[in-house]
Amino acid sequence: MDTLVTITVVSDSKDNAEKAIDAAFTEIEILDKLLNFYSHDSEIANINNQAGISGVKVSADVFEVLNKTLYVSEMTEGAFDVTIGPVSMLYDFHKKIKPSEYGIKKNLQLVNYRYLVLDKDTSTVFLMKKGMLVDPGGITKGFAADKAVEVLKKRGIHSGLVSVAGDIKTFGLKPDGKPWKIGIRDARAVDKEDDVMGTIELKDMAISTSGDYERFFILDGQRYHHLLNPKTGYPALGCRSVSVITSEAVFTDAFATGAFVLGPEKGLKLLERLEFEGVIVDNQGKIYVTAGLRGKIELKKSF
Amino acid sequence: MLPPASEEKLSLKNLFSSTTTADKILFSVLILLSLSGIIFMREALSRSETVRIEVDGQPEYLLPLDKNRVVPVKGPKGTTCVEIKDHKVRVTESPCHNKLCMQQGWVSNGAIVCLPNRVVVIVGNHGKHHKTADAITG
Repeated sequence: MDTLVTITVVSDSKDNAEKAIDAAFTEIEILDKLLNFYSHDSEIANINNQAGISGVKVSADVFEVLNKTLYVSEMTEGAFDVTIGPVSMLYDFHKKIKPSEYGIKKNLQLVNYRYLVLDKDTSTVFLMKKGMLVDPGGITKGFAADKAVEVLKKRGIHSGLVSVAGDIKTFGLKPDGKPWKIGIRDARAVDKEDDVMGTIELKDMAISTSGDYERFFILDGQRYHHLLNPKTGYPALGCRSVSVITSEAVFTDAFATGAFVLGPEKGLKLLERLEFEGVIVDNQGKIYVTAGLRGKIELKKSF
Repeated sequence: MLPPASEEKLSLKNLFSSTTTADKILFSVLILLSLSGIIFMREALSRSETVRIEVDGQPEYLLPLDKNRVVPVKGPKGTTCVEIKDHKVRVTESPCHNKLCMQQGWVSNGAIVCLPNRVVVIVGNHGKHHKTADAITG
């Protein structure tokens, strides 16, 4: 996944802890092999290669991820769309490449989650139009965190934390009996990855943050980041960062992206409707917090 | 009631004559210790940016980023050489097969991971977030 994964577990046996952590890392590696958009032999690559041609039989994990993306797409009215691939591949955030308007318009016609067909009985996935691409990058890290925690629990671990590049799933309590304390990165703390805007305590909960500072470049005074609006093909402009809290990291990951694209007001309403918690920083730096989180989140600045 | 202290008793001369050589050595050591403590603290406080090296998940080194040096790190497969120079860090030698860690080149903020030899080098501002939180999202 080309990202930093940290796994922390609580156990009275160092040996057990290490074995469990190894197994969890292996699980994440397996998932990465299946779900990697950029590799040529992942199941995702298979699906994309067969777009407009035929359905592809996939493993249970890949089916589950794609099935969940459809749920998130429905709930966000397409603000999260796993078929963003043809547009997202036009951007290169390392080389600071902004696609042409023509290119975006052309490829945008291939972006529509309704053309992604899943058949549960045969476990096959079919992209209806040639040239369509599923890019599950907005959901795989959270999914991997959930699955890693499942592996740890199966190995008898009762408490721990898995962070896949900031998509965090916690379970149980720390040895001191306290919940896990998670810092939310400050969206405008340049080059200081450890600068947080606030902290929140979590028990058996997951948290993810989508921010316009993760992968971006600035061209002609305009910030181009990786959170693309599937309706326009351009980076969504309403927010600086969105953090989402619920029990599953697969949903915190995807809905953080979805809410980010929707913008602060609609995003907050969505989180409230789903009975998720969350913190949204809009493009002016104003902070919005879901009702259930007030008093539970420690913010450095008042809001 | 204590007797009033006489001038003579407080004078430096008197003090020196009543101290033994052992006392003097003890005083010198104490003064040296406190001085080195101040210097050490200054050093420790000034290094906001550090290099943390872990082997198999265990922290092995915590080094300042502003001191050039080469650190041989022993892992299960052999020695991984980590070079710190001009606020940047790289892996110069590694017993691993694909040498991905070496190919990563110089890093000034972030991490170099050598999975085969279980060596993780983390460069950046440490300490702070470990006090305030167990993990960071974002």
